[in-house]
Amino acid sequence: MSAAVEADGVRKLYGELVAVEDLTFSVAPGQILGVLGPNGAGKTTAIRVLTTLLAPSRGTFAVAGVPHTRPLEIRRRIGVLPESTGYPERQTGEEFMRYHARLYGHARASAVAVAAKLLADVGLADRRRSLIAGYSRGMRQRLGIARALVNEPRVVFLDEPTLGLDPAGQRQVLSLVRRIARERGATVLLSTHLLAEVEEVCSHVLILNRGRVAALGTVSEVARRAAAPRSARLRVAPEHVEEALSVLARAPGIEHLARADGAPGSLTATNDGRTPNGHMNEALRRLVETGVPVLSFELEGARLSDAFLAMTEAG
Amino acid sequence: MVEAELTTPRRSWTIVGEWELRDLWLGGRGLLLTLAFSVLVSMLTYLTATNRALNFLEQRESVNLTLQVAIAVGALLALVAAADTVSGERERGTLETLLLAPIPRLQLTLGKLGAAFSLSVAAFAITIPYVWFLGRGVGIVGAALASGAFVGMLLAVFLASLGTLVSVFAASNRVSLSVSLFLLLALFAPTQFPSGAQQGWLGEFLLRANPLTAGEHYVGKIVVDGHAWSQDVLWLASPIVAAALFALLVAVAGARFMHLSRGSSR
Amino acid sequence: MTRLRPPVVVTIGALALAFVGAAGAVSNGLAVSVDRTGISTALGHKFVFRSTIVNQSTSPVSGLIAHLNVLSLRDGVYVDPEDWSSHRTHYLAPIPAGASVTLTWKLQAVNAGSFAIYVAVLPQRGAARPPITGPTVHVSIARRKTLNSGGTLPLVLGVPALLGALSFGVRVRRRTD
Repeated sequence: MSAAVEADGVRKLYGELVAVEDLTFSVAPGQILGVLGPNGAGKTTAIRVLTTLLAPSRGTFAVAGVPHTRPLEIRRRIGVLPESTGYPERQTGEEFMRYHARLYGHARASAVAVAAKLLADVGLADRRRSLIAGYSRGMRQRLGIARALVNEPRVVFLDEPTLGLDPAGQRQVLSLVRRIARERGATVLLSTHLLAEVEEVCSHVLILNRGRVAALGTVSEVARRAAAPRSARLRVAPEHVEEALSVLARAPGIEHLARADGAPGSLTATNDGRTPNGHMNEALRRLVETGVPVLSFELEGARLSDAFLAMTEAG
Repeated sequence: MVEAELTTPRRSWTIVGEWELRDLWLGGRGLLLTLAFSVLVSMLTYLTATNRALNFLEQRESVNLTLQVAIAVGALLALVAAADTVSGERERGTLETLLLAPIPRLQLTLGKLGAAFSLSVAAFAITIPYVWFLGRGVGIVGAALASGAFVGMLLAVFLASLGTLVSVFAASNRVSLSVSLFLLLALFAPTQFPSGAQQGWLGEFLLRANPLTAGEHYVGKIVVDGHAWSQDVLWLASPIVAAALFALLVAVAGARFMHLSRGSSR
Repeated sequence: MTRLRPPVVVTIGALALAFVGAAGAVSNGLAVSVDRTGISTALGHKFVFRSTIVNQSTSPVSGLIAHLNVLSLRDGVYVDPEDWSSHRTHYLAPIPAGASVTLTWKLQAVNAGSFAIYVAVLPQRGAARPPITGPTVHVSIARRKTLNSGGTLPLVLGVPALLGALSFGVRVRRRTD
C-alpha cells in the first residue's frame, strides 16, 4: 500500500532564508503523525508546502498518492485546518459549511446534509444558525475541523488545532482528532508544540528543528533515541524514608538515589539506562513487598519532552 | 474509508460569486452602500429639480448631470468593493481556506469580481427612477438609460478589474484601498480642469484616452446634444479597451499571483 | 362718419396710451408702450407682459430690433437676464406707417426681490440714433418657500426610505437567525 504522505528532499526558501531543508519522510495510511518543533522550526511552512499552498523550491512529494505536480487533485483529497485561520464573521456556521461543501463538489442538497452532519459531529448543531462572529475560539476550531472534513479527506492536516483553547477545549479537539483517524480511517498530520498532545494522540512523531528533520519514528522510538536516563520520582511515608532508601539501594540497575525537594518523603531514583523500565518496575516491586507505603510513583526522563529538548537544543 | 468521489465543480466561479453576493448583500454592506448612494442621488436630484424649476438648468442637462454622477459613483463602489477582494481576505485570515479549495484560482477571481460588479448594477438600477423623473416629457429617458447603462458597465468592469488587480498584489488592505482610490482620483482629475485646458490636440487626446472622461463625454453627447449612437462612437474606444485589457490582466494575475504572502493569516 | 386726420389720430392715440398709463417714449415716430407697469409674482413662476411698438411716422419703418432687459432695483443681487428669458431679442418685420406690432415677452422669476424690466427698440442700421425704451415694468418677486420643488419630494425621500427599510429588515433578520 502506498504511503499517505511522502516527501523526498523537499526544500523551501524565502529569499535567502531556508525555511525547510531536505524534508524526507513518509506516513503510512491511518497513522496519526505528530509534527513537533519549536517556534520557527518550519512546521507551518512544511504543512503549507504539502497542502500545495506553497510551491517547494526543490524536492518532490506526494499526498494520497497524488504527486505534487497536480495540486488541484491533492487539494481534492485532503482536509486542512490552518493555524490561526480567520472566518467570515457575517455568515452562520451552517452557511460557511454549505459554501465549502459546494466548493468541494457537493451539490446543493448534499451540501446541506453534509453541513448538518459535520456540525453535529463536532458539537455545533445547536449553534449552526448563529453568526460566526458569536463563536468562541473553541467553537471556531471545531468549525474549522468540520470544514476540513467536508470532502471525506484521505489525509487531514491540522496545524496547531488546540492553540488558545482551555484544557476542556483541548480535550474536545483531541478527541475529535482520534475519531477522525479511527472512524474515518484518515491519515492525520497534527502539528503542535504541545508534547502532551503528541504523546496522547499520535502513533508517530516527526521532530523539526531549524527546517530540518531532527527525528522521525514512533513516540517511544524517538524518546529512546534521545537516550536520556530514566529516573523516577516517588514519595513514601516520611517515617519509612530510610527503609525505602535502603531497599532501593539494593535494587538492580539503580544508579543514583537522593532525597528530593518538595513534600516530606520525596525521593528520586535514577537507573543506569540499560533497561529503562525494567529496573524501575523491579525497584517498585521490592518497595511494596517490604511493606513501605508508596504514596506516589512517577517515571521521568527519556520522555518525548526530553527527546524534544535534547534534539532541538542541540540544533 | 470512503473514497473521495467529489469532483471540482465545473463552474465554481458561480459558487464563489453566489457566496460573495450573499456576503455583500445579506451581510449588510451592499445595502448600506446603496443606501448612501441613493441619498446622494436624491440630494442631487432635489437640487437639480429646484434649479430646473428656476430655469438654471435645462432638462437635458439635469438628466445628464444625474446620470454622470450615478455612473461615476457606481464605478467607485465597484472599485472599493474590488479593492477588498484579495487583500481583505488576506488580512482577515480567510484567504488560506479559500486557496485550499480545489478550484482554479481564475474561477475564484471571477466569482469575486462578479460580486464587486453587482454594486454598480444596483447603483444604476437605483438611478433609473431619478432619470425617468427628471427626463420625462422630452423623450430622452430611453437614450439616457441605455447609454448610461452601457458606459456604466464598461467603466465598472474596468474599475472592478483594476481594484482586484491592485488587491492581488497589495501588501495590506489599506494599501489596496489607498492605491485604488488614488488611481480613481487621477482618472477623475482632468474633469476638474478649466475648459480651456481641455482644448488643443493634447487636451482632446487625454480626454479620449481616459476611459472615465471619454465615457462621460459620450453619454453627454447623447443626452444633452441628442446625438445618435454612432455619431461619437470613437469616444468609446478607451472605455472598451480598458475594460477588456484590465479584465484580462486580472484573470492572469488572479490565476498566477494570488498567493498567501509570508506570515499571512496570523 | 368723417375720417380723422393722421395728426388727430396720433394725438388721440397718445392720449389714449397716457390714459392707460402705459405710454412710453416717442421718438423718431416710434412709440413703445406696455400693457402693465406693475407685476407681482412668486419665485419660480412664469409671467408674461406685452409691449406694443407703434409707427407714428408717415413712412414705413424697417430693421427694428426689440430687446428685453432685466435689472435688480436693489444693489448686490446678481441678475442674469438669460435665466429670466431665453428669447430676449425680436427682429421686427417692417411696420407700415400708422401700424403697430405687439410683442409678447415670456419670463420666469428666478430671483426674489424687486426688479425692473424694460424693452429697448433700436434700429439695425444707423447707430447714431439712440434706442427708444418703453416704460419700466416693476416686478416684485416674493420668495417662495416650498420643500417639494419640482415635485421631487416623494422620489427623493421614498427611494432612500425603501432602501433603509430593506437594510434594517435584513439586519434584524440576520440577528434573529
